[in-house]
Amino acid sequence: MKTELDIIAQAGLRYFGRTTASISHELKNALAIIRENAGLMDDYLAMAEKGLPIDMAKFKVLTGRIEGQTRRADGLIKNMNRFAHSVDEPLRKVNLNEMVELLAALSHREAAMRQVGLQVAQCQQPVVLVTAPYLLLTLLGHCLTYALTAVNAGGTIILKVQGDTPGAIVFESLNRLAALPPDAFPDERVTVLAEALGAHYQADSAAGKVGLTLKNLQ
Amino acid sequence: MRVLLVDDEADLASALAERLEMRGIEADWVTTGQEALDRVATRQYDLAVLDVRMPKMGGGEVRDQLQARCPNMKFIFLTGYGSEIDFKEISNRSGEASYLVKPIDIQDLIQRMNELLKPQGEGQ
Repeated sequence: MKTELDIIAQAGLRYFGRTTASISHELKNALAIIRENAGLMDDYLAMAEKGLPIDMAKFKVLTGRIEGQTRRADGLIKNMNRFAHSVDEPLRKVNLNEMVELLAALSHREAAMRQVGLQVAQCQQPVVLVTAPYLLLTLLGHCLTYALTAVNAGGTIILKVQGDTPGAIVFESLNRLAALPPDAFPDERVTVLAEALGAHYQADSAAGKVGLTLKNLQ
Repeated sequence: MRVLLVDDEADLASALAERLEMRGIEADWVTTGQEALDRVATRQYDLAVLDVRMPKMGGGEVRDQLQARCPNMKFIFLTGYGSEIDFKEISNRSGEASYLVKPIDIQDLIQRMNELLKPQGEGQ
């Protein structure tokens, strides 16, 4: 029989695996683009050595692509590093604006594969509370996956940190959420993670919203 | 040899197509499965190089649909995973498949293309 700790450990590991796989996949793509465009520059140079003129405008496009992909890879690694450090302390002060921004960055590919856009609407003031950062990311990740599953391709989900309700995070679709099996949300993982974090959750299909209200664990 | 490259990373597909052209291989590129299906309606290809993970229609589904339209077409899959996970998924979907892990070596790709398009019985 699974205990709550087993469920939390499995949910955390699953989220870790899914997220690192997604980041490594994106990194591979960035590296592949760099390699192919560097290879093409090499081909141009080989042609120049044979006396054929180089199209400088085209060459500049290739250097621009390499620079762009280097920035992309750097951003991915920065996010991976922030993600990795979320396990450093079991409890610490977390700025929900930063947490939601990280969540959006980590979920970018998952959303893109479902053809759903993600937008972050941060609260103008920092919303800081003491919580378990990795468990929170895991819970947010599961809730966002549910919202992504329920939004049709072409839709957008806005990740909002609400200022009027302290500790509230809402994933809001511009459209009604599609009907999913009733047991899709909350599943066992969401229930147990929310309980561990002292969080309340709710999904309102008609309003196109999935929401969490977090408790300060200090 | 005429090949169609299908990858949602346009900067990869376009550079790869140009490099293949420089090596005497006619290559077109598109970024979605639907565009690939539109292309084969007007042009004949010997081989398609497909990214496994693409939004909307993944490489496995694109292959199934292209194969239904062009039974003689050969396929090579490109995967961004550093392991054989994607490959296993494709193999489970529709039998044996040829694949390369990104970032690829263009010589490996050309060698794989030549192997797939070698007339049957040659080299045996």
